[in-house]
Amino acid sequence: MRVLKTPSRAPRIRVHSWRMVLPRLVSGPSVQYLESAVKSLFVPSYQIFLKDSSSELRTRYALNALFMFVVTALSIILFSLGSESVSSDVLAGMLWVIIFFSSMSGLSRTFVAEEERGTVQTLQLISRPSAVYVGKLTFNFALTLSLNVVIALLYLLLVNGFAVQTPSIFWATLVLGSCAIASSSTIIAAIIAKAHTRGTLYPVLSFPIMLPMLITVIKATQLSMEGAFFSEALEEFQILISYTVVLVAVSAVLFDFVWRD
Amino acid sequence: MDFLAEHQLYIVLTIVLIIWVGLGGYLLRLDGKVTKLEKSVKK
Amino acid sequence: MPRYFLAKLSLLLWLTGVIIAGIAMPMVPSPERWFELPIIPALEQKARIIFFHVPMSWTTLVAFIASTVYGIMFLKTKKLDYDLRSVSAAGLGTVFCVLATVTGSIWAKFNWGSFWNWDPRETSIFVLLLIYGAYFALRSAIEVDEKRATLAAVYSIIAGVTAPFFIFVMPRIMTGLHPGAKGDEGGSTPVAQLHMPANMRVVFFASIIGFTLLYFWLFSIRVRLARIESSSEQS
Repeated sequence: MRVLKTPSRAPRIRVHSWRMVLPRLVSGPSVQYLESAVKSLFVPSYQIFLKDSSSELRTRYALNALFMFVVTALSIILFSLGSESVSSDVLAGMLWVIIFFSSMSGLSRTFVAEEERGTVQTLQLISRPSAVYVGKLTFNFALTLSLNVVIALLYLLLVNGFAVQTPSIFWATLVLGSCAIASSSTIIAAIIAKAHTRGTLYPVLSFPIMLPMLITVIKATQLSMEGAFFSEALEEFQILISYTVVLVAVSAVLFDFVWRD
Repeated sequence: MDFLAEHQLYIVLTIVLIIWVGLGGYLLRLDGKVTKLEKSVKK
Repeated sequence: MPRYFLAKLSLLLWLTGVIIAGIAMPMVPSPERWFELPIIPALEQKARIIFFHVPMSWTTLVAFIASTVYGIMFLKTKKLDYDLRSVSAAGLGTVFCVLATVTGSIWAKFNWGSFWNWDPRETSIFVLLLIYGAYFALRSAIEVDEKRATLAAVYSIIAGVTAPFFIFVMPRIMTGLHPGAKGDEGGSTPVAQLHMPANMRVVFFASIIGFTLLYFWLFSIRVRLARIESSSEQS
């Protein structure tokens, strides 16, 4: 009688390595919970982030268009300013106008591209809605941050009269502002991806939500140009951080409703 | 003319009251029509 | 004959009384009798607008909150009736918002010199107007009933999370023209530290109550009409 041999399984190294990393003091159930959280949330969302960034970097159409948009907006502003010197308040506001409109043209791509390519249902099948949300949010964070750094550098170089006296406030505002923009725009992008007139609807829906953040960020930039101390801008940073936290929390809960058909 | 200049506030009041009474009467009529519609739909 | 006819008629009479009191109560430099209002320097007769402008902005806030709450109820229960109520509340909120903005900017012209100043509270009513506009734009872009209701509810919740920051926090921490801004201890809605003489306060609160009840009545008419419409569409 031939006994069928069960195929010998290769040891699952991935699971065991996590167990080796965590200290022995942690008890069984919480380790399993952490494992399941990592496997069902963080790993898929990281993979979605990788998928989005690699597909955007591979065919650089969208990134090129975004970059050209930034260059065009900046050129229009430089052209209309001419050789006139404008007050620093106006210049601070202009920077964030460019940032806002560049975000509006670039950030809805994560969801709209899925609809256009028809990959929405595949994505719905293979991962939890929260994983999709975290992945897309991370992608938007990365995109906004890099975009805003590029815009800020170009602006600093090209616009005369824009002198930042407290660089720490300026760059901190840029980073926190990018996080805030990404957090509000991701959920709105998810909403409009299901609607019809996507392009025009996106800024219309986003602007009222972003306005408190824009006011804070412009004020902080003005503070950085006046040469205020870092501690004076702490109020603005608190507002930005709480805005981001609140929006991410609310969007994480609401995303389920938007994503499901 | 003097009368009008002197009692401006009361003229404003009269105009506002006329508009308001008109609106109120319209609201009551609208409500009556909706109630009638509701009853006819329920039947 | 509408139901609760007497209640509605008395509401209309109540508001008529508010209008007459607001416009006709005489303003004298030192009020002595119960129906005399004090003259506020630099405002004089134009101060009467407070009886109408503030209650209207209060009502638009009530409508906004109602719209968000009905949105949440829809997401929980999936009953389209809640969505009907959410739209009706939003429509009324828009009307009152426009009225509040217009009366506010007329008052601003008299009081502070120009029609619009980007004062924090003015900005907040403008943002509310934008939110309503965005809400209706979103609704008109989706055709499937359930999807439209879901997305509109989600958007109204997100707006409901960011708007209170505008309406309650910012006007108090930033300097501005409205009373209650940083540096001015006059007090403002919804904190009722109004520094008004007693008889003025009576008219003011009567106006707020009257406008709120008027809002509920208009809301019920709109919802009933919308229900009839949707039930006749189905049959």
